[in-house]
Amino acid sequence: MSSSFIRQLRAEHQKGRRRHLLLIPFIFLLFQILWAFWQLNYADQEELGSGYLLLFHHLPMMNTLLLPMMTAVTASRLCDMEIKGDTLKLLYTIQEQTSLYDCKYLTGLSYLAAFTIGQGLLILGLGMSYHFGEPLKWPMLLEHLAVTFSVSAALLAIQQTLSLLSASQILPLAAGLVGCFLGLFSLFFPAPIARLFIWGYYAAFPAAAMDWERDTRIVHYYEVSFPAAGFLLFLAAAIAIYLLCRTITARKEV
Amino acid sequence: MRPVITTEALTKQYGNKTVVNQLDLSVPAGSIYGFLGPNGAGKSTTIKLLLGLVKADSGSMRLLDREITDKNRLSILSQTGSLIEAPAYYGHLSGQENLQIICTLKDVPETEISRVLRIVRMEEQKDKKVRQYSLGMKQRLGLAAALIGNPRLLLLDEPTNGLDPAGIQEMRELICSLPKQYGMTVLISSHLLSEIDQMADHVGIIDKGQLIFQDTLSCLHEHSGTRLLLRTDNDKAALQLLKRSRIPAELKDGKLYLRVLEDKAVIHAVSALVNAGIGILRINEQQMSLEDIFLHLTGRQVSL
Repeated sequence: MSSSFIRQLRAEHQKGRRRHLLLIPFIFLLFQILWAFWQLNYADQEELGSGYLLLFHHLPMMNTLLLPMMTAVTASRLCDMEIKGDTLKLLYTIQEQTSLYDCKYLTGLSYLAAFTIGQGLLILGLGMSYHFGEPLKWPMLLEHLAVTFSVSAALLAIQQTLSLLSASQILPLAAGLVGCFLGLFSLFFPAPIARLFIWGYYAAFPAAAMDWERDTRIVHYYEVSFPAAGFLLFLAAAIAIYLLCRTITARKEV
Repeated sequence: MRPVITTEALTKQYGNKTVVNQLDLSVPAGSIYGFLGPNGAGKSTTIKLLLGLVKADSGSMRLLDREITDKNRLSILSQTGSLIEAPAYYGHLSGQENLQIICTLKDVPETEISRVLRIVRMEEQKDKKVRQYSLGMKQRLGLAAALIGNPRLLLLDEPTNGLDPAGIQEMRELICSLPKQYGMTVLISSHLLSEIDQMADHVGIIDKGQLIFQDTLSCLHEHSGTRLLLRTDNDKAALQLLKRSRIPAELKDGKLYLRVLEDKAVIHAVSALVNAGIGILRINEQQMSLEDIFLHLTGRQVSL
């Protein structure tokens, strides 16, 4: 990383003063903490016995519902100061358009990373508090966190582009909200159609699945093998999305 | 004076509309170059082209003795400062913090901040959040940001827009002091001739993307046909006498105009009139408005 790029990253950090950006992942995490306590307080002993599997099954759905909005708000908070203050014309005479995009993106990723680490700690904390019967399988936790982070990262590229190109932040935030619903609905679509909606990918690589017996009303959680090839394909698509968004933003004349 | 900015056949089109058309700009070093034209004439686009914010369709540009390319653009611009259309600022940060960001990006020590704040006379307001600043203060902060790193060239796009008369006067004094005190070249755009008249020593006039005049301000005045309005107690008799004395004069809309400006010629005309017993009530120098100059240069009326 060149010294010039590090300087530009430092400038992004300076811009973030008094923006309370860390509050965004914290608030969304707090919501998930409340949901998890509510879910586990109603769980019976058998369900708590497979508590980690329960979390690995439900958290991707919670992420589908919440994280598109979180990425939209993060990107918007990072970019609206440039739009409101009409700073892009000044910045582009000092730094490359692509550099500004990269620095903003890396800054946004740091907040997504904070959320992802927080969710990892939440899973560990819940396991200890509720004394889950099974031991934690670390690869499952890492796979879950990798999916959470990488899907959010792909969405961040889209949201950041919308936020930098829009005169008002209403459109990008609305896109985030629509993304939440599309992602959630896509979980009920047939798989080939569901794959068209990036917002639903939080639940596309589950570490655990669920069986529900209608007669006995017993819920059974079980481990599923991680679709590594599918995930790698998604990562390649995510990089392509990032590069496309970066190019679109860089080509825009101000 | 060697030019600091040179463009050759610079052209920019948006769709079918040519916004900048074969522009040959030449801005001498150490000058204040007034870039004058009505709204929509292509002034802002030209400045954006010079800064690489928009891409030219054809033509070439030289800034500070170097041909601008995509590769060296930022290196050349590191020696320039700019204020485009509206002041750029982060409202949630103080003036000082805003300038810190520019220092970080330009890799300039933060000691520069107190220097530029002193130039724009904003030391007192540096700790206030910028969203609480008046427009005039924001403009001065924008100028301070442009001055960071002591640039050799300043590009200012309508820097007095939206300012009250006191703010305009203050900004004008600031800009005028820059070439003398810091050896900078300043290109300033405006749609007001009076503004350029009070600041610039060189002028370029742009209309419909084309440069229709470029020279010194004094040359523009000669070109613009500045004249003397003469009020006498008998204008008709005065006109006949002036014509007999071969002094260029005309009676237009009931007003007597003397078409000479040289001191000797004026003394000669006044003496002739007084000796003939014609009373002189007033002599006023009348400058053409920008509208009149446009009419004179292009033969068409513009709305400014």
